[in-house]
Order: sequence, then C-alpha cells, then structure tokens
Amino acid sequence: MSNVILKNLTKKFKEIIAVDNVNIEIKDKEFAVLVGPSGCGKTTTLRAIAGLEEATSGEIYIGDKLVNDVQPKDRDIAMVFQNYALYPHMDVYNNMAFGLKLRKFPKKEIDQRVQEAAEILGIENLLKRKPKQLSGGQRQRVAVGRAIVRKPKVFLFDEPLSNLDAKLRVAMRAEISKLHRRLEATIIYVTHDQIEAMTMASRIFIMNEGRVLQIGAPLEVYRKPNNKFVAGFIGSPAMNFIDSKIVKENGDYFIDAESFKVKAPQAFYSKIADYAGKEVIFGVRPEDLHDKQFVSKITPSIFNTINTKAEVIEPLGAEIFIYLTCGKHSVIGKMDSRTQIEVDQSMEVVLDMEKTHLFDPKTLLVIV
Amino acid sequence: MQIKGDKWTPILFITPSIVAVGIFVYGFISWTSFISFTKWNNVMPDYTLVGFENYRKLFNNMRFQIDLHNTFVFTVIFVTSCLLIGLLLAVLIDQRIKGEGIFRNLFLLPMAVSFIVSGVIWRWLFNPGSFQLGNIGVNQLFEKVGLNFLTCGWYTDPNIGIKAVAIAAIWQFSGYTMALYLAGLRGIPLELREAAAIDGANQWKTFYYITLPFLRPITFGAIIILGHISLKIFDLVVAMTGSGPAFSSDVPAFFMYDTTFRGNHFAQGASIAIILLFLVSLLIIPYLITTFRKEA
Amino acid sequence: MKISLTRLLIYIILAIFSIFYIIPMYIMVVTGMKSFAEVSLDTMWNLPNSFNFNSFSLAWLGSIKEGFRGISGSFLNSVFLVVPATVISALFGSLNGYVLTKWQFRGSDLIFTMILFGMFIPYQSIIIPLVLTLQRLHVYGTIPGLILVHVIYGIPISTLIFRNYYVTVPTEMVEASKIDGANFLGIYRWVIFPLSTPGFAVAMIWQFTSIWNDFLFGLIITPNPASQPITVALNNLAGSYIVQWNVQIAGALLTALPPILIYIFLGKFFLRGLLQGSLKG
Repeated sequence: MSNVILKNLTKKFKEIIAVDNVNIEIKDKEFAVLVGPSGCGKTTTLRAIAGLEEATSGEIYIGDKLVNDVQPKDRDIAMVFQNYALYPHMDVYNNMAFGLKLRKFPKKEIDQRVQEAAEILGIENLLKRKPKQLSGGQRQRVAVGRAIVRKPKVFLFDEPLSNLDAKLRVAMRAEISKLHRRLEATIIYVTHDQIEAMTMASRIFIMNEGRVLQIGAPLEVYRKPNNKFVAGFIGSPAMNFIDSKIVKENGDYFIDAESFKVKAPQAFYSKIADYAGKEVIFGVRPEDLHDKQFVSKITPSIFNTINTKAEVIEPLGAEIFIYLTCGKHSVIGKMDSRTQIEVDQSMEVVLDMEKTHLFDPKTLLVIV
Repeated sequence: MQIKGDKWTPILFITPSIVAVGIFVYGFISWTSFISFTKWNNVMPDYTLVGFENYRKLFNNMRFQIDLHNTFVFTVIFVTSCLLIGLLLAVLIDQRIKGEGIFRNLFLLPMAVSFIVSGVIWRWLFNPGSFQLGNIGVNQLFEKVGLNFLTCGWYTDPNIGIKAVAIAAIWQFSGYTMALYLAGLRGIPLELREAAAIDGANQWKTFYYITLPFLRPITFGAIIILGHISLKIFDLVVAMTGSGPAFSSDVPAFFMYDTTFRGNHFAQGASIAIILLFLVSLLIIPYLITTFRKEA
Repeated sequence: MKISLTRLLIYIILAIFSIFYIIPMYIMVVTGMKSFAEVSLDTMWNLPNSFNFNSFSLAWLGSIKEGFRGISGSFLNSVFLVVPATVISALFGSLNGYVLTKWQFRGSDLIFTMILFGMFIPYQSIIIPLVLTLQRLHVYGTIPGLILVHVIYGIPISTLIFRNYYVTVPTEMVEASKIDGANFLGIYRWVIFPLSTPGFAVAMIWQFTSIWNDFLFGLIITPNPASQPITVALNNLAGSYIVQWNVQIAGALLTALPPILIYIFLGKFFLRGLLQGSLKG
C-alpha cells in the first residue's frame, strides 16, 4: 500500500502558521493535486511529506507507517523540484543514477533502470550530456527520470511545470498523466495553476491559508464548490459574485441585486427559506451567462434575463469574453462567438439559473 | 530545521571553528583587557590589578595624544581621498571608454602588493634628498618637470609626517574604492537611467538623482572598511617612517608595538590595544548588525 | 573619427591618474634592472641602458662581504607558510560556509556574525595572549606556529567567501540529494565540493595574498631570522643602513612578485575576493 495520511498536520515558521491542522488521506495509486494560491501551505505540506520540513505537530503516514522521525532518504519517496535541482557537474546518466549508487545498487541494475527510465521519457540520446546542455523541457524529463529510477512508493511534484513555456506546459501535462497510468504509482502534485489541477488530478485538494477547503474530483469541485473561495478559484475566468438579497413574494423566492431581480429555481427553495429577507452572495460562472439571441437549452423569461451594457469585448475565436455592467455590478460572460455586440451597446443576457450558486456572506459557505 | 539524525552533524563540523574563534578572538580580547588592568609593565608578568591606572597614564601621555591626532588626520585624508578618487575613476571608466580593462587593472594593482613593499618604495620616492645629494625621488621628478614649488621634506617634515603615509595608503586603496563603485555603477539597471533620460534629465541630473542615491550604500560600506583600515594602519608606518620626527607619523598601532615588544610595558601596551579595538568596534559592530539584520 | 571634448578630458584625467599609479611600479622595475654602474640618484628616473640583474641577485642572496642577509630563505619560509595555511583555511571556510547556508540551525546567523567580527579586529588586541599561548604550545617562533595563527584568523574571511558563494548554489540541490539518499558528509563530498571550484579559487587567492603580505604576525611571532616570512625580511633589508637602495627596491619587487603574478593571471578571482571583503556578495 502506498497511501499517504496526514493527521492534524501543523507547521509553523516562528509565528506564521503555514499549515493549519490538515487532515487528509491520499489513496494508493491516486493522482492527488494540492492546489491553491501562493502562500496557501501546499508546498510546505508537500515538503513535510518529503521530510524536508519537520512537522510542528501532527502525524504523517506513508504506506501506513508513521514517518515523522524518518529521514527523507528512508521515506521511500522521490521528488521533482520546481527548478529541477539537477546536479550540474554530473551528466544525465549520473544525475539519474546518483540515488541508486548511494543505495549501493549493483551496477547492472542501475544501468538497466536508467535505461528503462530514459526510454519511457525519450531521453536515451541525452545520457552523456550535462544539464547545462539541455533545454528546459529536457531538464524537466531528467528530473522526472531521477525520480522514477528509484521506483518509490510515492512521487512528489513541486510545481514542476511552472518554469516551462505555455506550449511545453500543455504537452508535459499530458505526458505526466500518461506516466501516472504507466507507473501505477501514488503521485502528490503541487501547483497554483487550477488548469493543471483540473486536467491531471484524480482528486483535487484545494488549500487556502494553511487549510484544506475542499477535496473532490475535478468536475465535482467545479460543479459543487463548498464555499466562495473554491468557487472563485476553480474555473477561468473566475465566477462572478454579486451582492444580493433573497426576497420572498407570493411563495416564490427571488434574488434581488437592486439593478436586477431573477427568480431562484424551485430546487433552491428548501435551502434558501431561512435566508428570506437576508443578504447573500449570488455566484454565476461566466459560461452560464448567455446572449439571448443564441440561447438554446434555456427558455428566456423576465425571471432569468437581465439588461446589461458591454464595456469590453475580447474575442478569442472559439468563444468571446464580454465585460458587462448591470447597474453597479460588473460581470464577465463567456459567450457564443456569433454574438454581434459592440462596445457600449446594451445586451440582454440570460442566466442559467440551475447552475448558479448562493453563498452566505458571513461564513462564505455555500447555501446552494 | 532538519529531521533528526543529521541534526547534530553540521554543528559538530562547525564546532572547531567556533571554539577556535571563541578562544583566539573573544578569549584573547578578554585576556588582553585583563592585562590592561594589571601592573605588568616589566619583563616579568605581574598580575596585580591597578584598575584604570594604565588608561589614565595613556591619556595623559603626550605621544598617545599626538597618535590620536595623527590617526584622525590620516583617516580624514585617506578616507575622503579614496572615496573621491574612487568615485571619479569609476564614473570615468564606466563611460564605455577604450582600454577600460587596462586602466582598471592598473588602478587595482597596488592592492595586490604588501604594505611593506609599498612602504619601501614610497620611502624612496619621498626621500627628501640632502644638500650633498640634491633632490631625489619625487622631488627630483618635480624639479625635472618644472614643479619646483611642490618639492618638500615629506615625512621628514613634522608638519607633513603622517600625510605622506596617507598618500602611499591612497595609492594602495583608491583603486579598491574604484572597484567597489564600479561594481555599484554596473548594478544600476540601465532602464533607470534611460527612464530618467526620457523624463528629461540631463547627464548631471541623472548622476545626481539616480546614480548617487544608488551608490549610497557602497559609500557607507567603503567608509566603514577604509575607516577601520586607517585605524589599524601599522605596516605602512613601520616600513615608511616609523614614528617620524616629533612623532609626526606615529599611530596607536605602532605605539602599541613599541610599548609592548620593545619597551616590555605589557599592561600599557594592552591598554592601547583595547582602545584601538574600541575605536574599530564603534565602526564595525553597527555595520555588522545592520548588514546581517537586513539579510535575515 | 571625431573625439568630443568631454571624451578627451576623460582620457586626460585617466592618464594623469595612471601616472600616479604607475610611478612606484616604474621605479621598482627600472631600478632593479640597472647595472651597478648605472645606479645613481641623479638618474633614478631614467630607463636602464641594458638589462642587468645584479641588484636582484644581491637582494636574493645577500652579501657576506657587505654583511647583510638575502631574502631567499625568507621567501621559502613564506612559501612553506602560505601554501598549507591557505589550503587549510579554505577547507575550514568551505565546511563552515556549507553548514551556515545549507544546514542552518537556531543561532547560526548570530554565530556567523560573531565569527565575522574576528576579521575586523586590530590584531594588537590579541597579540599578547597569542604570544603567551604559542609559547605554552611550544610553537612560538616556528613556521607551524605561524600557520596555526593564519589558519585561525583566516576563518572569518574564508567562511564569508564560501558562505557568499554557497548562497548562490540552489538549496533544492541539497534537498534533492537528501531524498536521493545522501547524508551531511555525502552531500558535501558528492554535490557541494565538486561545485566549489569558484569558491576555492576566490578564498585561496585571497588567503594566499593576505598571508603572503602579512607583516604583524611574522614580525612578532617569528623574531628569529631562520623562520621569518618575506615581508619581515624585506623590512629588515630596507631598514639596514649598509644595504644600497637599489638592492632594497629589488628586494621589494621580489617580495611583490608572487601576489602580482596572481593578480595578473587570476585577477578575476582576486577582484571577487576584494569585493566580498566588503561584505557585498
């Protein structure tokens, strides 16, 4: 078993709490992605698992063994660093073989494992080169190769793609996913990029201010965010948040944002009953705003349509981002590219109400 | 912090250095201070405590008063000249001139040479000559190029004394100051000067408003380094002049050596050393604290 | 091509200063080259008519007839002193720098600052206890004693040089080797040491130059001519009334030669050491 369990893990640097009582279990063979903005504690969590940081309190288990006092080299893990951390004075072969040599593996086995890893990564012809002579993408592969020759229980990746250019990043994303399937190993992967998280993870662990806010499969956290932070962090462009009020009229519930008023779907009623007359935060993803001209699956009505004005238009080809104002509110819509709107024109926008969310403005937790 | 096991090995490896510095620097300083409070002013050690007696005698000593005055004069001349010459040369060299490397290497070369070597040479250059010999050294050179009014007795003239030593010291350290400033100038982002130019600043204004503020920490550091060198100056004085006529080129470091190792007045010598250390610490300790607080 | 007036002015100022810097060097070389007959104070600024190394050989070997010692013995003393002292203090500096950057512990920054202070003290403030201690250890007046002194008082600067160098070595590399299975010494042996060449170059050149050029320790710790380093011998040579001035200056050139050669051939590292001496990494 190569699962990783963190129990009440806390890490303080002097007065600053970097990791705050984290309790998670990463399952065997899972691709777990820890994601969050910089300073959220994701890297510190990873480094604590690696043994590069000592936990202030709490327990770390790898493969059901308590490892708090175990040195990094004896934890049966391998790590890929953000800046690769290749040894500049060793060639690619020796960079990969170093860990095996230190563990006194027989020469033949080292050869065989390095060769195998090099084949998987397509770097057989680079083995005699020094890191200096490699491109960024090649260095990345060597760093991964150094990890896989060891055949560890758990792979740790610390923002491994952040130093690559955009195009290479997309390619490496797919390769790492493939590698995960091939190696059938547990991977813990840290990134600040929610697209990396969404595309690669079996499960996403969203962190902020040292805590894990939500755990789930990519689409699950996208569709059912637990709280306003997760809702805003996952998805691009970010979800629109509008300060509103719940109003009950003739047995129906409305979301009233002063500049507009829309009707809550029937499914929301039981959960928002207690909020009648109270403030809420109304959340709509840009992709759930539609131009009335091109709306297909939803029926426009006065209950889900708002009048807006276009401020900025960003055509991306397949879709079009429109920055809209509606009274005092500003929202972004990701719309059908056939939209003919021009700047300063008014536009009728239909909201896909079933997919919207409401958040409690005090706790920031999701209401529905 | 590291995981247990390797926690003590690093400390083990740095311990010999800590112990050595602890004993040979801090221990010995304490020991010297102790000696400075004793009666040991003879060949045979005598550790009878006499309080501040040695310090009292020292500050009443004419020679020590001259020494402090000389040190002050030397420091002012040496530090300001090095800063001005260093800055001037650095700015000139930074103008993308031809033969930059040659000038730079030439100005820095004296830094590689021992104080004793430069002392020997400058003693000859500043030799005032005599009636029989006529002018020699620099004086002869002045005579040859028609600058006779510049000829003087140099270190044999009590009014010049330490100032002649200062010239030799400037020769050795102004190139070093230039190197510091040059590194500073090269560290100023080009965009900044370009931005100032676009904002309409002329060369002088750019220098005044952009370059000089950037060089301020370097000037500060250079003052500390040069200042503490001038407080400690010893080798150059020994090789060039010794105490000079009427102690006109005497300095505390030389006085300490003379008192302790020629005069066997160990307690008195120790008190001079402690005063010297105190003066150096006034410069260095605030510098060390600010430099490393910034980094941490 | 037209050179602007400012440019011309720049070159003129630089040329004037060049004269100031070059004069002592010029006198040193010219005087040493002159034949005995040519040595005259009237013509001390003139170039020599022919190459003659008489002054050098007198300064090097001394003269029994005139009754003064040459500096050759002391030159060798300095070599035997400088080489081991430089190597040992660089090794100490390297280990200290490694610990202080890659294995920091509680209080390590304070310890570093306290070590560094040792680099600035006037050695007069430790010299009396130093002499007493060396006498007790029976190494007073010997080259090994002088080596010990230079190694210990070289710890601050060599630690500083290596610390500043190792700060530029990414810490992730040390962490990667921890995960790869290396311990404190293994990381030093296999990763840090092989990458330390520039650090060693700077530290060793710095230490070589400053130990070679040291005068105070040599003067006080080795009063006997048999174990004196070269600067002390030169000072004695130059302080003697029976030695001709051209011989003194030839001695000065011989003393200055090793550091000057290092400066000429390894100037880059020498400069780096100089800049670090001012604590700017």
